[in-house]
Amino acid sequence: MRSVGIALAAAALLSSCSGGGNDSSPPPPPPPPPAATGFDVNPCLTQFVLPGRTVAIEVVPDTLTLDLSRPALFPNGRALTDPVIDLTLAFLFLDLQQHPIDTLARIPLGPASNDRPFRPAFPYLAAPQGNPPLDGGAGQNFQFRTDPLSDYVTVDRTGMPALATALIPGPDRNEYNDDTVTDDLSAGANGEFKWVPALRGSLRALTTALADDFQRAGLTMCARRG
Amino acid sequence: MFISPLFGRLAAAISLVGIIGLAGVLSLRTLGAADHLDPPLRTDPNADTNPDKAADIADIYLFQTANDLIMAVTFGGPQATTLPASYDPDLVYTLQVSNDGDPLTTEFPIQIRFGLDASGNAGVRVTGLPGGVTIEGPVETDLSANGITVRAGLFDDPFFFDSQGFRETRSSGNLAFNNQRDFFGSQNITAVVVEIPLDQVRDGNKLIDLWSEAFRFGVQI
Repeated sequence: MRSVGIALAAAALLSSCSGGGNDSSPPPPPPPPPAATGFDVNPCLTQFVLPGRTVAIEVVPDTLTLDLSRPALFPNGRALTDPVIDLTLAFLFLDLQQHPIDTLARIPLGPASNDRPFRPAFPYLAAPQGNPPLDGGAGQNFQFRTDPLSDYVTVDRTGMPALATALIPGPDRNEYNDDTVTDDLSAGANGEFKWVPALRGSLRALTTALADDFQRAGLTMCARRG
Repeated sequence: MFISPLFGRLAAAISLVGIIGLAGVLSLRTLGAADHLDPPLRTDPNADTNPDKAADIADIYLFQTANDLIMAVTFGGPQATTLPASYDPDLVYTLQVSNDGDPLTTEFPIQIRFGLDASGNAGVRVTGLPGGVTIEGPVETDLSANGITVRAGLFDDPFFFDSQGFRETRSSGNLAFNNQRDFFGSQNITAVVVEIPLDQVRDGNKLIDLWSEAFRFGVQI
């Protein structure tokens, strides 16, 4: 459920930040840029998001992982209602020994829920909106391709939500999508898993850019200044 | 276990004003979506003059109820509510399921294909299900065999995120993020949902891994 109180406060803040309204005072000077170097993000990759499961294990290989003995709540699997972006930001940037993984989701940063309620039983997803043309649920003797997968090319691959978008550099996206789990777990430079250096580099850059914002919010980052 | 109850000890310690300010800054700088339009050189119209929209996987889901494991993959969207679903017969979507805690092994390589009948009706075939089961039939219909249920069809896009604010803020330089705005709201997407009895898919309490792929017959478009 969305918080009306927070929504109103956020709306007021957004209005002031977008330059709207009657406030003609000049905007405050931007804060000084953070240091360009010096963050060690390895503590982020090695912190635990679930018992026995570190951020690195969740990210590599690119799969969703579900422990059936625990409730399905991202990153333990992914339920339809999970605010995955806010949870991902938390485990990538916050010190989870200081802040619960749902710290950002409780604000929330993004929308807290879907705009349509999910169905409680199969097929769980909500019915389509509007009046789109729908196939009538009829037919028989359908003709399907039977060609082996070797006659196909890979277009897309998906496991953990948002990670490729956020952390894999653009020029590497095709290769990342074409890789398999075996490729993900193959040794790259320095004996690390193939994509760990790229993930670490992107995470370090984002951490550097966002450090001042986290500090202003009173949050402790998982990254450490070197 | 680091997940604390709602309104835990941090609630009092963190400045609400500071957090709300953080909301815009974080989101606009870091994330656009789950996997929509990725990889951009194949699926994003801003990076590819002939994007393969139908093959663009948006999200996957994996959760359990008391008796069943549920998996879903969404693709070819989000899109306007006036548009039809995407049932491209030249694509294969997979739901790769590893149930032994070792993602290097795939115990259930589920494949999803679409086809047409002589009257032009769309159908779906799902192979690789537990027990070697294949389920086939019309889209927009619950199809069941051996306790497994499948449905392919058009749904409301289940993902929620303010990527509109992300884009507007990036282009304008003005903070435009709003947690009351859901870019994926009021949009639809094609999806396949698979529900399997837990006793058919679990290997004790070993971890289950899931990932999805989209393959196009022949070459990239």
